[in-house]
Formats: sequence, structure tokens, C-alpha cells
Amino acid sequence: MTTADNALAAAVERCAEEPIQIPGGIRPHGFLLVLDEHDLRILQASENVEQWLGLPARELVGCTFADVVSESFDLRARLERLPNDEAFPFHIGDLRLRQGAPCTDTLRLLTHRHDQVLFAEFEPFRQPADLADQGDYYPLVRGFVSSLHNADSLEELLQQCVVQVKRITGFGRVKAYRFDAEGNGEVLAEQADAGYPSYLGLRFPAADIPRQARDLYRVNRIRVIEDANYQASPLVPAINPRTGKPLDMSFAALRSVSPVHLQYMRNMGTLASMSLSIVVDGQLWGLISCHHAQPRVVEFRTRTACELLSSVLSLQIETRLSHARTRQLLDLRQHIVRMISSMADHDSVSEGLRDLPEVLLAFAGASGAAVISAERCDLIGQTPPAAQVTGLVHWLEQRGEEAVFHSDNLRRDIDELPELAAHAGGVLAVAISQIHSHYLLWFRPEQVRTVDWAGRPDKQIGAQGALNPRNSFDRWQEQISGYCQPWDSLVIEAVLELRTAVLGIVLRKAEELAQLANELRRSNKELEAFSYSVSHDLRAPLRHIAGYTELLGEIEGQGLSERGKRFLQHIDEAAHFAGSLVDNLLNFSQMGRSALRLSDVDLNTLVDSIRQELAPDYEGRDIVWDIAPLPKVIADPAFINMALHNLIANAIKYTRGREPAHIAIRARQHRGETEVYIRDNGVGFDMAYANKLFGVFQRLHRMEDFEGTGIGLASVRRIIERHDGRVWAEGQVDQGASFHFTLPRQPATN
Amino acid sequence: MLKPILLVEDNPRDLELTLLALERSQLANEVIVLRDGAEALDYLLRRNTYANRDDGNPAVLLLDLKLPKVDGLEVLKEVRATAELRSIPTVMLTSSREEPDLLRAYELGVNAYVVKPVEFKEFVAAISDLGVFWAVLNEPPPGSLRLNRRASN
Repeated sequence: MTTADNALAAAVERCAEEPIQIPGGIRPHGFLLVLDEHDLRILQASENVEQWLGLPARELVGCTFADVVSESFDLRARLERLPNDEAFPFHIGDLRLRQGAPCTDTLRLLTHRHDQVLFAEFEPFRQPADLADQGDYYPLVRGFVSSLHNADSLEELLQQCVVQVKRITGFGRVKAYRFDAEGNGEVLAEQADAGYPSYLGLRFPAADIPRQARDLYRVNRIRVIEDANYQASPLVPAINPRTGKPLDMSFAALRSVSPVHLQYMRNMGTLASMSLSIVVDGQLWGLISCHHAQPRVVEFRTRTACELLSSVLSLQIETRLSHARTRQLLDLRQHIVRMISSMADHDSVSEGLRDLPEVLLAFAGASGAAVISAERCDLIGQTPPAAQVTGLVHWLEQRGEEAVFHSDNLRRDIDELPELAAHAGGVLAVAISQIHSHYLLWFRPEQVRTVDWAGRPDKQIGAQGALNPRNSFDRWQEQISGYCQPWDSLVIEAVLELRTAVLGIVLRKAEELAQLANELRRSNKELEAFSYSVSHDLRAPLRHIAGYTELLGEIEGQGLSERGKRFLQHIDEAAHFAGSLVDNLLNFSQMGRSALRLSDVDLNTLVDSIRQELAPDYEGRDIVWDIAPLPKVIADPAFINMALHNLIANAIKYTRGREPAHIAIRARQHRGETEVYIRDNGVGFDMAYANKLFGVFQRLHRMEDFEGTGIGLASVRRIIERHDGRVWAEGQVDQGASFHFTLPRQPATN
Repeated sequence: MLKPILLVEDNPRDLELTLLALERSQLANEVIVLRDGAEALDYLLRRNTYANRDDGNPAVLLLDLKLPKVDGLEVLKEVRATAELRSIPTVMLTSSREEPDLLRAYELGVNAYVVKPVEFKEFVAAISDLGVFWAVLNEPPPGSLRLNRRASN
């Protein structure tokens, strides 16, 4: 802010602090008596009472009400009719003043209770000369109410109201305006006589109506200033004796107004004004503002009719707005339902949304959207480039806090990412899950707007730092850039609703997964029981076959032909092979079940002991071992031993016939993992079958060439994968093979 | 007289092979065969058909783990829970060493177990080792007859 801005802001604030509800005086076309309702004694009186009653105000204090009015008027009896629950001036009756008073006309008496006292406001009957007495306002109001139903738009509604108000009050110009979020008033309807400048479509800056005035307008719905050049008549005494403070005149019909406002009126070239509040949902929604170049009176019954019109208008606007909200809500809900059902169809939040790009955009009234999940970032429609969207998501993550973030001006709200503003005016973002970096984002383009102000919206500051009201009300255009159309609160709520629904889906999926895991656990248990009974039940007949075969050979072997003996031998071998198959399978299934017991494992020690163990298998063969110093790894020693045993036994087996056979065992360190590999110069394999090597019962060689159950490498893979490592093999037919596995250097702790 | 060897086995093939193995191990002990756990308990506790059997406990109890009616573990539990039977050396016979029940057998105080091997020769060797160890070499528990050590073999 510049210094001038600061000074202006301070002046506006000072203006907003002027206590307009306690002006200490009244507009002098009538007079005020402040009464103690208990004994109807006068507590305060406006100084101008002397013109009417012929007695100075200070002498009236302490007198009773009955002392000053004609005998026939019984205030006490009439007060029974004064509503208790509202503070608006109530026309309690007409009366004449006491005998001998200078004023002999009949006066209206308006009473209301406020600030612990009873206000009695006296007002003469007056009617502007140019206005015929309307008599009964009822047909007029009835006509107005029925015409409201036919209005198609808000503007039309306001226009009708403006026309009616102008007709019954005779003001030279009547306009209706609505306040925007910042409090600026935009003129939506206007009816003016020739010679009055038109303000239709222009905006009056928020500072024209200070905050405390807005608060007052919200409760007291009508204000009239008959003549901006009036001289206020002060109260005597100045202090309300019931409260010890200046009298609170918030509701008084005769309340004097701020001199700043009177100056504003004179600057605007209007000496009389009336304003009616349009209050919607308890908020000051807009005003009907009437002006007249010359002083002008507004008779009490006319005021009442205007008040009624503005109340009916307020209700009508409230109904229309709430109707529009309901319709918008319904639309939003329909969009949510479509998106949710698409997510359910695709069984995925991201895919479900990607499949409905138009709905996703229409839902938030956006021109672009992004669906961010841990794995991907999908852009739909007009969005910043992916890198910038990712940057925005990081920014949102850093920010944490609430699930929803929205901005209608990215340049203003996100300093850290200035490049965003080149692609979007605003963003609405919702975190489905902050932990998993799952976000939905909507973008709206920047909309450069032209605002037609009724005069430059900056007030001038006077010598004492007080606000001088503006002098100029000429059209002044301002370009407003950087903003997108603001995000409606309903859309923001709907986005939260969408999030809740999505979370519901995600939770349900998690439950399904948990259930699946349960079923898996159960079927694993069944499998365990199955493999146990298979091993147990299969072993018995195999044992019997082998046993009886052996016995048969022993007892009857002599009598058998050579062929018969060979058959017997085959039966015996088959039974033994089946037995080891069963044992291996059982080992294999056990590997998947038993918990890993991780510890430091010295691979060199392990390799040495495996070589010793396998020594009988390669007795008499020429094998050149090339074993590098191997690192220590963190693994389950028994399992890793089994894996290495299998790999080394394979290397020995498949180099059979090589003179000499070369077997190398080496290790490499990578980022986060250790790779170990065993290379041989054996028969190798065709890489086309590389992916089959590690499957159960997969064999690439004939049984006569190389014996085996086809489960060794499957076990290796299972063991390594249990350790969160990887296995792979490289080879070439007749050119040897190498088998590799990795182990993480910092195993997950489970 | 040597105390008998009590063999509890339901599978007729396993029974035959086990008997052959015992025969080949040349143990002189009588082998009493029972076909399920209930029968084994009747014998050990002298009930029903075995109410009038000869006195004395077997030299060793060879107990198949899986038995009809009352399984091997229950028999073992009963044996260990009965004062007069508690000291009978008991050997579990099983089909595979993966038996989760083996752990339980150890908890219940089994003296040894034998995985019945596929190879018959191995089976003979295992049974004969056990028989010799428990029926011959071991100091017989009190109440058993002392036996004369063989001179040869």
C-alpha cells in the first residue's frame, strides 16, 4: 500500500467509527419527547419543541406526557397496542397539542421502545404539492405483489419496484442496487425524471456507505432526509438518564444523519433522499435509493407503503435466490452422482473421473481440471503445463491444513509460483488424500473485467484526516485483471461432498482388500494343510512301492530275467524320484510361509561350506573356482544358504562335461542393493526361455542329460523375493549362463 | 525273558515293512502289534480284552503318529500322565519331518522319532538302531527284567 492508500484507509476507518446511532439531535421537521414509560414523564426533549409547544425543552423535563397534549388523548391506553417485539416507530394515533400551544394542527404520533425509554416522535401532516393524496395504498401494494410473480429476472423485479416507489413518493430518481462481495453497489434498475443523471450499470464503491451505516440499515429498513440543508435540533439534556449515555436513536424516524452524508448529498446535487433496505437472509443485499433535487417530504403513510414494498421485494429475492441455490445444488449433486458411479464402474477414482471430462469440468464450472494420484497427473481441458500443476500440488502439500484450497487470483495468492498466472486465473483444489498425494484441481481462466464506477472510487481526505465525500459521480472505467470468476460457496461445499463420497469409495476398497487378504490367509492355511496331507499321504505309497520293490528284488531277484530286474530297478528309481519331488515341494511351500529371521550373513563362509557339502558331486572333475571376496548381507541365513546351494549345485551340474569347468561367484554394489551372481561355462540356455527358468517344474533339459525336479530355481526366486530382492538369468546355448540376485541393503523391517 | 516291543501301526503295508525291518535287526524281543490308539491304551492300561495280560511294561513303544480312534499324541499323553507307564521309552513313527505334530510330541516327552524313509534299507537301519538302543542297550527301567547282553553282534 502507498502512503496515500494508508491515509485513505485510515480515513475510511474513522468514518466507519462515527457513532451515527447517537447523533445527539433530530431532523427538525418534527419533534421528539423521550419518556419514562412507567410514569410517562419526560426525560429528554428536542430543543425545537419550543416552536411547537411554546415551552423551552429544559422546562419540559420532569413534566408528564399528559401535560403537553390535549386532554382527550390517552397514551397509556394506546400503548397497549404498541408491539413488544419490535423497535420500529409505530403510528399510535393522531393528536393535538395542549391548549395554548403555538401549533394547533393535528400531529401524527409515532412511538417505539428502545434504549430503556419510550420514544414519542411528533410529525405534521404534509403532502408534497406535486403528489395527489393516494388515499388507500392497499390496491397499489396488491398490484405490486401480483406483478412480482411475472418478473422473469432479478433486474425486472427491481425495475418494477423502482417504478412503484417512484410513483408513490414522487422522487426525481429512484434506483436499486445490489452489493457485491466487497460491498460495492451495482445499479441494476433505475427510473429517473429528465435532468437527473443516470447511474444505471455503474458501481458505487463500498466506501460510500460506511460499515456502521450498513449495520444500521440492516435493522432499520427506511431512512428519509427531507432536506440536506437542515439544521439538527439537539436533545435536552444530551444524556439519556436511564443509561447515562447519549440516547441511542437507531430506530428513530427523526434521527439526524452524519454531516458527511449531507455533504455527499449536496455534492451529488440532491437535497432530499430516501433509502430502503433490501435484506436477504439477514444480510444487507442491496438498497432502493431515492433522490430529489429539491427538499421533499415523505408522508408517514407513504413511508409505510414503501417499507412494505421493500419487505415484499426482499422476500421475493430471498425466494428466488434460494430457489436458484436449490437448483444449483441439484445440478452439483447430479454431477457428483455421475462421477461417483463412473468411479464405481471403473473401480478407480482417477479412471472414473478421466472418463467423464465434461462432467468433471461442468461440475465446478471450470475450463480445466487435473486428477493427481501418486502415479500420474492427468490434465483435462485448459490447464497449466504438467510441471506447473505438479509444482502447485507440492505447494498445496506444504500448506497442509484444510482439504480445500481456492483462489480466484493465483498471482495474488501464490507468490511462490508466479508462472501459474500465465495459464490460469484461479484454482479450486481438494485433497482426497494428502498422505497419498491424491488431489483434484479445477482451473478457471483469468477474466479481465471493466468496471464502470460512478466516479473515481477514492475519497478525498480533509485537513484533519477526516473523509471528504466525493464531488464527482461521473462514469469512470477501471480494468480489473488477474481474477477469475469467483468460486461459489456452493461449489466449494460440493467439492467437499465429492471428497467425502470418494473417501467412502476408497475406504470401501480398502475394506475389500482387507477381506481379500483374509481370504488369502485362509486359502494359504488350506494350502498348507493340503500340502502337508499330500506329502504325508503320498509318501506312504511311495515308501511301500520302494520297500516292496526292494524286497521283491531281494527275495525273487534270482529268478527274474535281466529285463525284469531292469523294470524292478526303474520302479525303485521312480518311487525315489517321486519321494524327493514331494519333499522338495513341501520345502518350497514352507519357504513362502515361514517368517524370515534376518541377520548378518557372510557370503564367503556360506559359499565355502556349500562347496564342501557338494564336493562328492564333483569329485574327480576339473573345476576352476573364481570366488571374489563377497560382502556381508542382511538375510535369513538358512534361506540364503538354500538359494546359494541351489545355484552352485546347478552350476556344477550344468558344467558337467566341461574340461575345465569355470564357476565364478562375484558381487556388485548398487544403490541400496547388493547383486550376487554365479557364472559358469556350462550348457547355458536359450534366452527365449529365460522367463520360464524360475517357474515351478520348469525344465529346459532332458532328464537323461540333467537330473532334477525342476523346483530349485523356483525356490531361489521365492527366497530372494521374500527378501524383497530380484532374480534374473542370462545365458546362451552352449556358452554358459549367469544367475543373478539382489538383496536390499536395508531390508524392510517386517 | 525279554520284554516285548509294542508296535502301534494302522497301515498294513507299513506294519509289514516295519515287522520285516524289526525281524532283520535280529532283536529277540517279542513284538506285540496293536492297530489303533484305543487298543494301545487298552493294552497299556490292562483294560477290556487286555485286562488279563501278563504283567510288565514293554521295553519300547513304537507309536505311529497318525492312528485311528485315539491318535499317537493322545496315547503318548496318556502314557506320560500315568505313573506306571511314564518310564516306557516311546518312539514316534512319522511319514515326514514336516509334521507340525512333531513339536507337540516333543512337548509331551517323546524319546525319539523316526521318519519312515522311502529307502527300505534305511528303514531297516533306523528301526534296528532304535530297537537295539531302546530294547537292548538301554538300562531297562525299574520293573523290567534285566537282560543278558549278547556276546556277539
